[in-house]
Amino acid sequence: MRPFGKHAEVRISILGMGGHHLGDAQDEQTAVALVREAIDGGITFFDNCWEYHRGKSEVLLGKGLKGHRANVFLMTKVCTHGRDGSLAMQMLEESLHRLQTDHLDLWQAHGVVFENDPELFMRPGGAAEAMLKAKEQGKVRFLGFTGHKDPAIHLSMLHTGFPFDAVQMPLNAFDATFHSFQTQVLPELNRRGIAALGMKPMSGHGEPIQNGAITAEEALRYAMSLPVTTTITGMERPDILRQNLRIAQKFEPMVASEMRSLEDRVKDVAADGHFELYKVSLKFDNPEARMAHGFPLDLESAEVKEMVAAVQNTGHPYPEIPK
Amino acid sequence: MPSGANDQFTRREFVRGAAAFTASAIAGGESIVAAKKNATPQAVTPSSGQPVPKRPLGKTGAQVSALAVGGYHLGSTKDQQEANELVAKALDAGITFFDNAWDYHQGLSEERLGTALQGKRDQAFVMTKVCTHGRGKDVAMQMLEQSLRRLQTDHLDLWQIHEVIYYNDPDLIFRPGGAAEALLEAKKQGKVRFIGFTGHKDPAIHLRMLAHDFPFDTVQMPLNAFDATFRSFETQVVPEATKRGIAVLGMKSLGGSGEMVRHGALTAQEGLQYAMSLPVATTISGMDSIEVLEQNLEVARGFQPMTAADMQALRDRVRIYAADGRYELFKTTKKYDGDVGREQHHYPTPQKLPA
Repeated sequence: MRPFGKHAEVRISILGMGGHHLGDAQDEQTAVALVREAIDGGITFFDNCWEYHRGKSEVLLGKGLKGHRANVFLMTKVCTHGRDGSLAMQMLEESLHRLQTDHLDLWQAHGVVFENDPELFMRPGGAAEAMLKAKEQGKVRFLGFTGHKDPAIHLSMLHTGFPFDAVQMPLNAFDATFHSFQTQVLPELNRRGIAALGMKPMSGHGEPIQNGAITAEEALRYAMSLPVTTTITGMERPDILRQNLRIAQKFEPMVASEMRSLEDRVKDVAADGHFELYKVSLKFDNPEARMAHGFPLDLESAEVKEMVAAVQNTGHPYPEIPK
Repeated sequence: MPSGANDQFTRREFVRGAAAFTASAIAGGESIVAAKKNATPQAVTPSSGQPVPKRPLGKTGAQVSALAVGGYHLGSTKDQQEANELVAKALDAGITFFDNAWDYHQGLSEERLGTALQGKRDQAFVMTKVCTHGRGKDVAMQMLEQSLRRLQTDHLDLWQIHEVIYYNDPDLIFRPGGAAEALLEAKKQGKVRFIGFTGHKDPAIHLRMLAHDFPFDTVQMPLNAFDATFRSFETQVVPEATKRGIAVLGMKSLGGSGEMVRHGALTAQEGLQYAMSLPVATTISGMDSIEVLEQNLEVARGFQPMTAADMQALRDRVRIYAADGRYELFKTTKKYDGDVGREQHHYPTPQKLPA
């Protein structure tokens, strides 16, 4: 357990359960069992998002948490993607309903990945206003934002002056070399007492692990050894959950020299970003977010076909792709 | 431009096709067209008699033309005769700067330029690039000899390290025995007058190269109206180079593929005018036909920079199209990264990467 940024009275588990992968669980029963086993294993931080699997992830987590809500720190994300604050409030009500709770511990703006997102977030009538209102109404305790794309965009969100309690970002041994959140964003969060939430410790889908560049244990231990409040990772199967729980339960932070030597070992394969495509490729932009921004989807391009196909959370982007 | 990156869209196509944008391919395209209609077209003053102006090349004391002929596209001309004609016409119009690279079209681009410059070498400022991609000084020196032979000259005016686009490139280039040593050696031998580097990927990598405090005379980078708001070389690298008197060479004034023009986000003229109005020594533009050269010359003859207010208005107008990087795919995808470079770095080809 670690303190939640400057809110030291709030303590959360060093390992967080990712909400997207929960929706990938074989069936509802498995998902519910995963949540229960995670709680039993000491996990208190649960991640989710309004748009994961078109709401299925939130519904499953709501069922899994039944009777355990008081024992966990519950986060979900709002998916306005630059749209109005009123839409954010509607999404909040839906999320609360699906999660079967009257409040969230943390509510974050999802997918801050485009250069103009900070401006859209802060605009009059935008999502920033909705977040403050939700906090005032007691529906959420803390506020934050998340994005996987570019440290510069995170910094410009921080420069808006909005009172964020938490910020989520990809943190792993590859990130240390390429478009680094670790070197550019993490120190700023630590300085301001904003809780840093790491994600993608295994680079999203574990490609470098399958490839043999790093082991799952090295990857997770490295991410958890950074000055973060928690590390969120997806665990859609009991064996993955158990593997991660084992690593987390016996966790001793890596010493600095151990971290440096791992960074050095993967530096050359990290240097083109092919294990962190979420930072560069348009393929990793959620089509829903693109459309909310008015960015075109080139339906004829192979990249967008792949992109649409890759969006496991919908299969059919929302709103309808214009024909 | 790395080989193959832009074969599918030639400049010739978008000279003809700029207006023939089809909304069906791109959802949301109508708003781009609408924005274009609302835009005030830049008036081009008739300038047919005037030469392309010269500008100082940083603090080197040399002068180069404000528009340069890109070497990759010279290798895409239909034959040597067309290349000869293009180079002669460019020289007549006052263009002195000719870009090239050791690996463009497997040497064909250098050969075409060498032949086209026969008897005219002293009128031209010849640049080519060395493609070590992390390999050392010896490989670089061999490439230099090959380049000189193909270009039919005993010296280069400018020799640059090509495609510095990976985060470990600065380390590889500056390691003992690395390519940086070759630059100094070649300069000492009098085989090259000036030295520099180029890359299309990330301002952070350029800054890391510049942090080495190496005596670079030039640095080449993508500069266009879209770059200004997305992973911007203009805001991050140009000021640093300018401060140190290192000449800035702009490239990809139309985003590399010209897609931004074909989709109607701006005109080819606006794109080139914007790039040439930045504090750069020259803007390198690919021209694979006389037609494209003529179009560029319309902008470049007697060139007058845009006002700061006009530049700001254009940046603001295209900002919404720039914010996701879709018109600067050389920054966001692997498809502009040369296969040889990826191979030398032991990276999988883009086709082998996860979707």
